[in-house]
Amino acid sequence: MQSVRGVLSLGTLTLLALGAGTVAPAAAQVTGEDIVSREQQAFLYAARDFRADVSMRLVDKEGQERRRKLTMLRLDTGEGSSQKYYIYFHEPADVRGTAFLVWKYQDKDDSRWLFIPAIKLVTRVAAKDAQSSFVGSDFSYEDISGRDLGADSYKLLNEEAREGKDCYVVEAVPKSSSAFTRKVSWIDKKTFLPVREEFYDVQNQLARVFTADEVKDVGGHPTVVRRTMRDVKREHHTEVVFENVGYDSGLDEGLFSERYLQKPPAQWIK
Amino acid sequence: MSKAPRFSMVEFSVNHPRWVVLLTVLLSAAALTQFPKAKTDTNPKHMLPETSDVRVWNSEVEKTFDLYEDMIVLGVANDGGVLNRETLERIHRITGEILRIEGVAARDVSSLTTIDNVTMEGGTLKVGPLMPEVPATDRELSDLRRALFGNPLFLNRVISEDGNTTAIYVPLERGVNGKAVADRIRGIVRTENGPERFYVAGDPVARDTFGSEMFKLMAIFAPIAGLLMFLARYLMFRDLFLSIALMMDAMVAIIWSMGLLIGFGFPIHIMSSMAPVFLMAIATDSIHIFNEFYFRFRETGDKRAAILETMKAVGRPVRYTALATMAGFAVLLFMHIEPVRVFGGLVAFGTLALRILSFSFIPAMFTFVKDETIQRTSQREDVRSSRTARLLTRAALLGARRPRRSVFVGLALLALAVVGMTRIHVNNNTVEWFKGKSEVRTSDRVLNAALGGTSLGYVVAIADQDDQIKTPEALRTIEGLQRRLEALPVVGKTTSVVDYVKRINYVLHDENPAYDVIPESEETVGQYLFLFGMSAKPSDLNNVVDYPFRRANIFVQLKTWDADAMRTVKHEVDEFKARTGARLTFKPAGTAYFNLVWNDEVLWDMIRGFVIALVVVFVILAVNFRSLKWAIVGYAPLVFTILVIYGLIGLSGKDFDMPISVLSTLSLGMAVDFAIHFISRFRRRLSEIRPDGTVPDESTVTDALLWTAERPGKGVFRNAVLFASAFSVMLFAPLTPYVTVGAFIVSMMILSAVMTIIYLPALIVLLRGWLFKGGA
Repeated sequence: MQSVRGVLSLGTLTLLALGAGTVAPAAAQVTGEDIVSREQQAFLYAARDFRADVSMRLVDKEGQERRRKLTMLRLDTGEGSSQKYYIYFHEPADVRGTAFLVWKYQDKDDSRWLFIPAIKLVTRVAAKDAQSSFVGSDFSYEDISGRDLGADSYKLLNEEAREGKDCYVVEAVPKSSSAFTRKVSWIDKKTFLPVREEFYDVQNQLARVFTADEVKDVGGHPTVVRRTMRDVKREHHTEVVFENVGYDSGLDEGLFSERYLQKPPAQWIK
Repeated sequence: MSKAPRFSMVEFSVNHPRWVVLLTVLLSAAALTQFPKAKTDTNPKHMLPETSDVRVWNSEVEKTFDLYEDMIVLGVANDGGVLNRETLERIHRITGEILRIEGVAARDVSSLTTIDNVTMEGGTLKVGPLMPEVPATDRELSDLRRALFGNPLFLNRVISEDGNTTAIYVPLERGVNGKAVADRIRGIVRTENGPERFYVAGDPVARDTFGSEMFKLMAIFAPIAGLLMFLARYLMFRDLFLSIALMMDAMVAIIWSMGLLIGFGFPIHIMSSMAPVFLMAIATDSIHIFNEFYFRFRETGDKRAAILETMKAVGRPVRYTALATMAGFAVLLFMHIEPVRVFGGLVAFGTLALRILSFSFIPAMFTFVKDETIQRTSQREDVRSSRTARLLTRAALLGARRPRRSVFVGLALLALAVVGMTRIHVNNNTVEWFKGKSEVRTSDRVLNAALGGTSLGYVVAIADQDDQIKTPEALRTIEGLQRRLEALPVVGKTTSVVDYVKRINYVLHDENPAYDVIPESEETVGQYLFLFGMSAKPSDLNNVVDYPFRRANIFVQLKTWDADAMRTVKHEVDEFKARTGARLTFKPAGTAYFNLVWNDEVLWDMIRGFVIALVVVFVILAVNFRSLKWAIVGYAPLVFTILVIYGLIGLSGKDFDMPISVLSTLSLGMAVDFAIHFISRFRRRLSEIRPDGTVPDESTVTDALLWTAERPGKGVFRNAVLFASAFSVMLFAPLTPYVTVGAFIVSMMILSAVMTIIYLPALIVLLRGWLFKGGA
């Protein structure tokens, strides 16, 4: 088996140590929920803060494209799984200056604010539907900022190699009605980043596929810098590229406020 | 061409009847093996090739705007209003079930529970499903009511103005059978026991229900028609064996041609589904062989000689009528519309098969009949004693004795027909292919009365550069066009990107009516649309604007499936463009537009075919009679029949639709049959009694005419009766195109038979001098 990376927690170390050599008995000890919890840590909670310039390419089956360019800032508040996001849009050109603020809480609906520069209006935006599309892309809000660990029940289906990586295959089934009825994830045993995720719809047919296309190490944090979400039925996909990724840049919590929505912090948003 | 080979076919068949019958049976068995592979195709879209402009354009529009080709509408009506918890509970449950149906594009089903709404509540902007959960309190219920009636995007779409009707729009994935999904939906609503009424409507339902009904019709009506004809024949000849032989003639030809069609992999289209009944009717022409056979047998008393002599006497007219019929159908092979070509080829082949059988299988079958049976039957064929014969003679006398009066009455009728023809209204309506009380029609009627319209067309606005659609100027143009279109009585509702932009403007300004307008700057529009696209279903925006914002799609809901409705829309759009000098260009699209184009294409194709058939049939007549003059006379009953029928269609106010235009061409080849038989036999008779070929006097002509009316005329009469009885079955079909075909053919046969028996004698007597000048 592969060597264990320093970023892994003690718990996981133990699990993996047990699993070294013979896979099957050890696998019985790891639960699906453990794995997904680790995945969320690696995928969405790496370091205290995070910034990236994000380019999105929305491509329909005809090859028509829509592009989005945005800067994303993230800060973990330190209270459980709470996080704050600041998103500033550079493109399309006519929406430049539109900014979006999300306060994510552990046990209640997010708070979201939006600044519309053309009419200089900051408005609260309801966060009821975390599964709706994020800015018209194939990603949902949830795909970007994470889904409650408790919302699904998990089952470790298998362990297999995928894209040349040893993976856990975990199935998640939502506990209450949701946009998907089943999600199967291939999670890299080494980095705990998702390699591939398949979402099944209400007809139990494959609806969306997530793939992590490129992973880079940024300051000790394995980061998915290129990813694609494919809507199988609409034959539509969205490609996302992270550039200028930075961890622990020392973002100030004050940035994540209504005031800065209208006046983007130039230090972080060029 | 020498006659020897044809003679040998009859002789061969008489000499080796068992071989002929065995071969026929073997060929039929081979054709039958193909039948299980049969598949139907009722999609009107396939009437035009995939490469046709309208299909290329429509599929481009569908792809550009993420649209579905097919949509089923489930209407839910409750006289006490649908906005009560119980009904909403049901809608919630039903929508959930519908989402699970395979083939349903679940992500884009629009129902009260899934449709996106944009509102501002307590300073919070909400973009999301209108009613994700059923309202639990009266307050929530009145909130829902307010949301529904306060949003013009919902009115007449998911809620009727009186609040008594709502609808669930169910888009289908490509290639899914609409009837199968409609049946599943019907199954789901059947389990609900509330006061609500449910209506399933939409183009795919009509189309695919039509397809399955078509199969039923083929399986029920074709055999019934066959049975009726069998019965009519039995009453005529009182001989079971011969009646069966005659029927087998038709059956064999049908099996051969359908087997070949299926074997070649062609789907059975609405038109080719009518082929069996057509072939059965065309097969009745062999009645002339039977008719003559009995006369000859009485004269000679020798079965074998009677067969050979019969074939000699009727061979020529039978060949030429077959040729004329074949030509009428074969002309269709040169049309542009594939199902029409297939149908033409199919029936032309069947006619050929029928004629081969007439010269082989039928003579062979005659040899198996006992002499005594024939004797018994032929006794009844005594010309003088037969009531039919007396009737025919009287009819012919009417024409021959009072030719001027007959012709005058005919001309008066013609004048009336011409008046009627000027009133012909060209239109086609696929939903009206079902009868008024059918479920399909009822659903459509109810939903069209309550909501914006079940028939959907698009008008695509095209700018000359990217992002131009976001300019206030372009949006105002689109809005202006929408208002114009909505003023048309056939248009129920229009929806475009303008409605979304205005809605967002209004909502962001705390529902201040002053902001229920298009904003002043392009930037604002861009940001509004971006905002909308941030949380709504991606398809909401994609349906109305393309990616580069160069094109916008206006949904035009029509209250009728008339092809004409879209013509009105197109006309209004063109006029709008001309009047306002708008920078945008507009192109219609969608199913409603397709129906219009298809309707016109079929029609013009058919009119072209009709003209070609007219020429071809005339040439065949001229060649057959070896005389232009006789060809003109023989042409008269045909032209008269056709004109009178079209006149009647015009006068009755029935739309000149696709089935009728198809029939026009076919009718030529069939209506001319009687004239061919009549004139051929009349001239043959005349040359027998006046071998010198001088101009005959009136009494000679009258005598010969009476003989013709009695003897081959009886064949004509029997032929018409059989023909009419076969097609009269179709009058009881549950689908109107079949009824139309039935009524058309029955009246055509009766008219052309009457014309032949009355007017041919009148014309021949009147034009005697001209016709016989220079020898008969």
